[in-house]
Amino acid sequence: MRDIARNLALWAGLVTVLALALGHDKPLNVLGLFIVSGLAVGSLYALGGIGLVVLYRATGVLNLAAGAIGAVAVMVAWQLVQWGVVAPLAWALGLAFGPILATAYGRGIAPRMAWREPVVKAVASLGFAFVLLGLVSFLWSDDPRKFELPTDKAAVVILGLRVTVTRLLVVAAAILLVIGISAALDRTRVGLQMRALANNRRLSSLIGIPITRVETLAWALSGLLFGFTGLMFGDLVRLEPAVITFLVIPCVAAAIAGRLQSLPDVLMGGLAMGVIESLLTLSDTFKSVRPIAPFVIAALVLLLMSRGRRLTFAGED
Amino acid sequence: MIALESLTVRFGGLVALDTVSASFTAPVSGIIGPNGAGKTTTMNVISGFLTSAGSVTVDGTDLMRLAPHQRSRWGLRRSFQREQIADDLTVEENLWAIADNLSGSRAEKRANIATALEFTGITAIRTKPGAALNTFERRLCDLARCITGDPRLIMLDEPAGGLTVEETARLGGLIGAIPGLGRAQVLVIDHDVDLIQRICAETLVLDFGRRIAFGPTAAVLADPAVKAAYLGIEVEHA
Amino acid sequence: MQITRSGLVGLILAALAILVLPMLAGGQWLKIFTSTTAFALAAMGAGFMYARLGMVSLAQVGLMGIGGWVTLRLNHAFNLPFEANLLIGAAMTSVLGMILALPALRMRGLYLALITLMVAGGLEIIFTAYQFPNGGDGFWGVGTSFSATMRRPFLGQTDAGFLRYALVVALLGFLLIEGHRRSASGRAWALIRRSEAAALASGVNVTLYKTWAFGLSGLLAGLGGGVLAGSLGLLDASTFRASESVLLFALVVVGGARFWLGAVITAVLYRVAPGLLNNWGVDADLALVFFGAALLHAVITAPDGLAGQIFGLFSKEAAHDRA
Repeated sequence: MRDIARNLALWAGLVTVLALALGHDKPLNVLGLFIVSGLAVGSLYALGGIGLVVLYRATGVLNLAAGAIGAVAVMVAWQLVQWGVVAPLAWALGLAFGPILATAYGRGIAPRMAWREPVVKAVASLGFAFVLLGLVSFLWSDDPRKFELPTDKAAVVILGLRVTVTRLLVVAAAILLVIGISAALDRTRVGLQMRALANNRRLSSLIGIPITRVETLAWALSGLLFGFTGLMFGDLVRLEPAVITFLVIPCVAAAIAGRLQSLPDVLMGGLAMGVIESLLTLSDTFKSVRPIAPFVIAALVLLLMSRGRRLTFAGED
Repeated sequence: MIALESLTVRFGGLVALDTVSASFTAPVSGIIGPNGAGKTTTMNVISGFLTSAGSVTVDGTDLMRLAPHQRSRWGLRRSFQREQIADDLTVEENLWAIADNLSGSRAEKRANIATALEFTGITAIRTKPGAALNTFERRLCDLARCITGDPRLIMLDEPAGGLTVEETARLGGLIGAIPGLGRAQVLVIDHDVDLIQRICAETLVLDFGRRIAFGPTAAVLADPAVKAAYLGIEVEHA
Repeated sequence: MQITRSGLVGLILAALAILVLPMLAGGQWLKIFTSTTAFALAAMGAGFMYARLGMVSLAQVGLMGIGGWVTLRLNHAFNLPFEANLLIGAAMTSVLGMILALPALRMRGLYLALITLMVAGGLEIIFTAYQFPNGGDGFWGVGTSFSATMRRPFLGQTDAGFLRYALVVALLGFLLIEGHRRSASGRAWALIRRSEAAALASGVNVTLYKTWAFGLSGLLAGLGGGVLAGSLGLLDASTFRASESVLLFALVVVGGARFWLGAVITAVLYRVAPGLLNNWGVDADLALVFFGAALLHAVITAPDGLAGQIFGLFSKEAAHDRA
């Protein structure tokens, strides 16, 4: 708990300093708008990151196809809406593709590499990503599209700022999911099993943990998160399969911020990355490279993580 | 002499080694104990893979002042529970891999490698690729790597793992003959008590990270506390 | 120095290619083959690092971009010969790569892959924002409508001559790696691959060797980028997107990271296949599906890639055939 509080202070401090540095001469409500927009995108980085970390901890697979899965989900949802399917049903069906695709990979393909190093498993997931991206690009033409939710038009006023409901939803979802998943990992039986699996796979099977069942749950849950993130990226960023597929990269950045293990840190890091990226728009020097923020931050986190490590042993995690 | 002084290693709340001290003077000495006792941890400390309180002094040199990869040049050699032969390289190249990092001319190294191959009896297979070796050949190659050059301290962690009774006996004979080659002292971890009895003059017994006995092997093995640790027999309180 | 059978085949093919290919190919194909050679250089760099050390670089095309950028900028800023621009570009790519990878080199292999992913993403943004030098002023060297000439090497002025030049550079790059592999470096790499602990226990300075391997990989990427710059005269940011780096690595695994033939297959699949498929009426997107499936297949069943399977047909010792 103390670590979380300390990290929260660090992230919040960093963001505050940058907000002041970049926005001190701008009207407060303009600054606020940038921050809100950044929080929304950051929540998506965090959600993707959470899916990646939960899955990685439980299965050892860092699923680089997360973005591609999200792209399929949102394109299906969009297409169903185009075909006249009732909107909420279309979204649900699109969303369902998340866990379906993830679990299909997790039960069908991943087990054949279960004994390989994490790096190899991550590289293999790239194969899945390309298959999905290729299929989606093939099935849908390159035309510009928009994915819209009714919540885009509605807005609430918070602290004098007009916040679209979609953005509010996304931030709330990220926070609630981190709390919920952390609680579930801590208090439920399945959560305990998942943590055991993450800690030591071989030992877990020896003491009778139903590995396949726990892993399937992890794949399905992460797939759901990836699907949801894909839908929201389609709404808030751009509905373009190639773009959404490679938004997995800033999600990986958020996962790194959490050191591939701490969900609260993934959330804080992701939010901070989104906000900082957004705030950089206010700087003339940096606005053209603002999307680089998550990567620079992730690199710095890695630098901190590697300090004080004298040695490394490849192979067993 | 190998002097271990108050080695203490903690992993979070777990104490893997608890002020373990021992001074080995015999040419070949053993470290035994139940699983998880801290035997490999001790070797990892000497190798420099773990930070530890206390000190490791060998023939006057404080090993902890050297970085792990420098200890090889000083004269430390190590084999692991699983043999570590590079599949990509031939037997000879595997020995070159360690010779590369020692001092001496190329001719000297070539001679050292030839001696090591000869001693372990694997000269005939020296161009065989690592991937094609069987378990015994791999163990012999590991041993050859350990005696290349003029080592001062050779640590063998379960060197007979996966070997048959005959192969173990042959390996034991080789290990016993190592001190005769040069100035090396040997430390052996193994679960095979017969092997330890045969080749180790002194033995350290660990349990739960603590030293529970140290001294001449026969005496140590007859110690009731050691028997209790291994066999779970209650030590009778006088 | 003994040459393996496949090595001999490779050298003969290389000699043939250098002598004959530029004469046979015409027009567009000269430039396509030159690009392919550039990507083969990069593939070699990423390939040896993965095959020999298990290190994954998902930023290799991005690093090519650095090499290309430096080569172009030097070309427009000074009057040095092409060789100087090329080598300085390659050296700077190498150094920059090592600096960026350094934090991850002391951690588990997965982190290196992830940090290279971050680097690829970052480079994409920088190239998109600042474009490539075209003879303009300032540090970035981008002017509105300039297109200053790219000076080619003395021995490679024409497209055909430059293809020959590029092939020679590729051969030299390969020999550089092979030279390392047969020496103490290669033995240290093999030990590191087996177990970093065992390598340390054998006196290998693991971090140093891993860093230098990454530097070598970056050097080849930089050479590839410089060759691209020399061939095309002007580079475009879209060539060096993160997705391109990721795709190239996927194809490195498919082609066979271990072998020179693998690098050739990789480059051909990467550079030539999509265009060919288009010509034959097949949607290039399906090529992506095929590549993804091929990667999964390679990881699961054929770790030595297509090259490994080809060599396996000719020799029952393919697994140990090291060229």
